[in-house]
Amino acid sequence: MQSSPLNFRRAVIWIGRLVLGGIFVYAGFSKLLLPNTHLWPMFVLKFSLSMNISSFAQQIESYKMISPEASQVVAHTLPFVEIVLGLLLLIGWRLRIWATAITAIMVGFLTVVTRAYLLHMDINCGCFGTPEKLTGMTVLRDAAFLALALVMTVFAFIEARKPHPWSAPEKA
Amino acid sequence: MNRRRISAGSLLLGLLGAFAALFAAAAPQSAPVVSDVDPHKAFGSKNAPVIMEVFSDFQCPACKTLFTTTNRQLMDDYVSSGKVYLIHRDFPLPMHAYSRIAARYGRAAAQIGKAEAVEQVLFQNQEKWEQSGDVDGTVASVLSPAEMTKVRALVKGGTLENMIDKDYALGQGYRVNQTPTTVFHCKGQTYPYSGVMSYEILKGFLDQLLSQK
Repeated sequence: MQSSPLNFRRAVIWIGRLVLGGIFVYAGFSKLLLPNTHLWPMFVLKFSLSMNISSFAQQIESYKMISPEASQVVAHTLPFVEIVLGLLLLIGWRLRIWATAITAIMVGFLTVVTRAYLLHMDINCGCFGTPEKLTGMTVLRDAAFLALALVMTVFAFIEARKPHPWSAPEKA
Repeated sequence: MNRRRISAGSLLLGLLGAFAALFAAAAPQSAPVVSDVDPHKAFGSKNAPVIMEVFSDFQCPACKTLFTTTNRQLMDDYVSSGKVYLIHRDFPLPMHAYSRIAARYGRAAAQIGKAEAVEQVLFQNQEKWEQSGDVDGTVASVLSPAEMTKVRALVKGGTLENMIDKDYALGQGYRVNQTPTTVFHCKGQTYPYSGVMSYEILKGFLDQLLSQK
């Protein structure tokens, strides 16, 4: 029996998967279910989701980068994309593809919050479901997440070049 | 491969468990009795099947959106017809420099029967007075000099502060942490909702609430 082949790169990949995967899943769920969490009966759930998505659309609009219609489209898709990407990252299937996708999204998030911060926009960041003022800390946090995503992606590509010891053929 | 299946299965189970816990915890609460209603800031029939308490801040842009887009139709279609009893609650957020002052003027105007005109002028000119701080001048633009004298006297009198504080405390009881937050009461249930609701979404919800048996 072979022991777990944990080295520095694999440790970083694991940390990246758990941290970023967890954060993406939480970010998506919180946008859909927070701050309004009444879920039953069904028409109440429908109203809760409509309210939360509409609040998220308003937060996107407050960045003044895209039209109200485009904000609606983003608000109706981004939370679901975050949940799916986060789950795929946690599961680890086709890691390189989804790690690259998450890195690209993080580049987008960092660009948007940095622009708003530099323009001194007094807005909520819209990162999670609950109101959170956009500050320098938001920019630093997104930068840290991007750095982790970037390193994880690079390491995932490096590791993929080498055969995994569990799946490598036994030496004669 | 098996390890991956096991970890994916555990992950899925964990998520389902978390969702079930959230689902169970998020059932509507039993309604407390609506108290401390200032009749000057309440509209419609007290016996309406649905009560809506709107916690609002005059300096909050989302509250302006709610007031200018949804409120008019709500008043015409549900409040005037006796289906909804609408209560305006003051919830001046500490982060806004002039919202408490504006709340005082709004309250004072309500006491002399000018709530609607003053609320409208405050919301419509929000960007101006939040820069200049000239709440008094903004309110004066829609009131006669005699009315303005009464409003100023009420604002200076200090009695309104207690009313605003009561609304604020009530909001804290509902765990209001952003404005606007609307608390719906219907058939013994309470549903607090944060954020701006479009009239179409609100209408769908109210119709469902009203058709509940």
